[in-house]
Amino acid sequence: MSTCTGVFAVSCIREQRTGAKALQRERQLNQFLTEVERRALRIAEIAVRDRDEALDLVQDAMIKLARNYAERPEGEWAPLFYRILQNGVRDWHRRQKVKNRVMVWFGRGASGEDDYDVTANAPDLAGRSPDVELQTHEAMQRLEVSVHELPGRQREAFMLRTFEGLDVAGTAVAMGCSEGSVKTHYSRAVHRLREKLGDHWQ
Amino acid sequence: MNDPGKNEQIEDRAKTLFDDSVERLDAATLSRLNQGRHKAMDELRHAENTVSWGRWLPAAGVAAVAVVTIMVMRGPVDVTDGPVTASDFEMLIEADSLEMFEDLEFYSLLDEVDPETNGNVG
Repeated sequence: MSTCTGVFAVSCIREQRTGAKALQRERQLNQFLTEVERRALRIAEIAVRDRDEALDLVQDAMIKLARNYAERPEGEWAPLFYRILQNGVRDWHRRQKVKNRVMVWFGRGASGEDDYDVTANAPDLAGRSPDVELQTHEAMQRLEVSVHELPGRQREAFMLRTFEGLDVAGTAVAMGCSEGSVKTHYSRAVHRLREKLGDHWQ
Repeated sequence: MNDPGKNEQIEDRAKTLFDDSVERLDAATLSRLNQGRHKAMDELRHAENTVSWGRWLPAAGVAAVAVVTIMVMRGPVDVTDGPVTASDFEMLIEADSLEMFEDLEFYSLLDEVDPETNGNVG
């Protein structure tokens, strides 16, 4: 009888420890997602040029990370999260291509890309003078368009390295390629952006 | 063209503009992000509960096998003395029973008539 009680007690203690661990993990994941969600949204938005679509993509990435990778070490979350997000963005572009082909077939032509209203999706004013606000807004608009027009892999490398601040190894995990490829894509991306933005950025 | 200083300039300016746009996201967007994060956390809790129940699955399997083994060893249960058998249903659906339903009014009239009066009539 005493053996049974002992086994039950050990089982209960183990359950409590597991529960405390799960709670701690939950808090850590919540904190990670809180820190990363805004930048992730803007990165997705620049890639797909649609805020609603970007919100859906970020939400999907958060859910998939929580469902499949919550048990992985905390340091791995950022590259994994961005890998899921980048896969989502790629799938979105594939679907858009198919959709546009179908639209062309039915004589409606491609849509979506040019419908994006930069002004409507611009961030709120932050107590700056209208001139400064306008300059910042225009510069961001040029940057968004230029980054969006980069080839897919270059865009990914540039946004993950510059905007999210991932290192080369983390970017390689997020992009699912070698570190050498990341360096090449990134270098080409910066080169192209310098060509496109040119004088505005001197 | 491969001037590292100019590359850094581009990177710094891009980073500053990007961070600025992140800081100024509107409240509606932030609210939707918050909702998305809560959904993800719900998913995490659901996954943990599933794992927690899954831990008991082997034990439940062993218990089920034990119950089935005991039932097989005890042999089949005799159901002939049960309260309802197949023959009861057969009686209900026989043609005679249907005739009884047709004369139901007559039987109820007999039931209402006083037994003594009934005897005189007979």
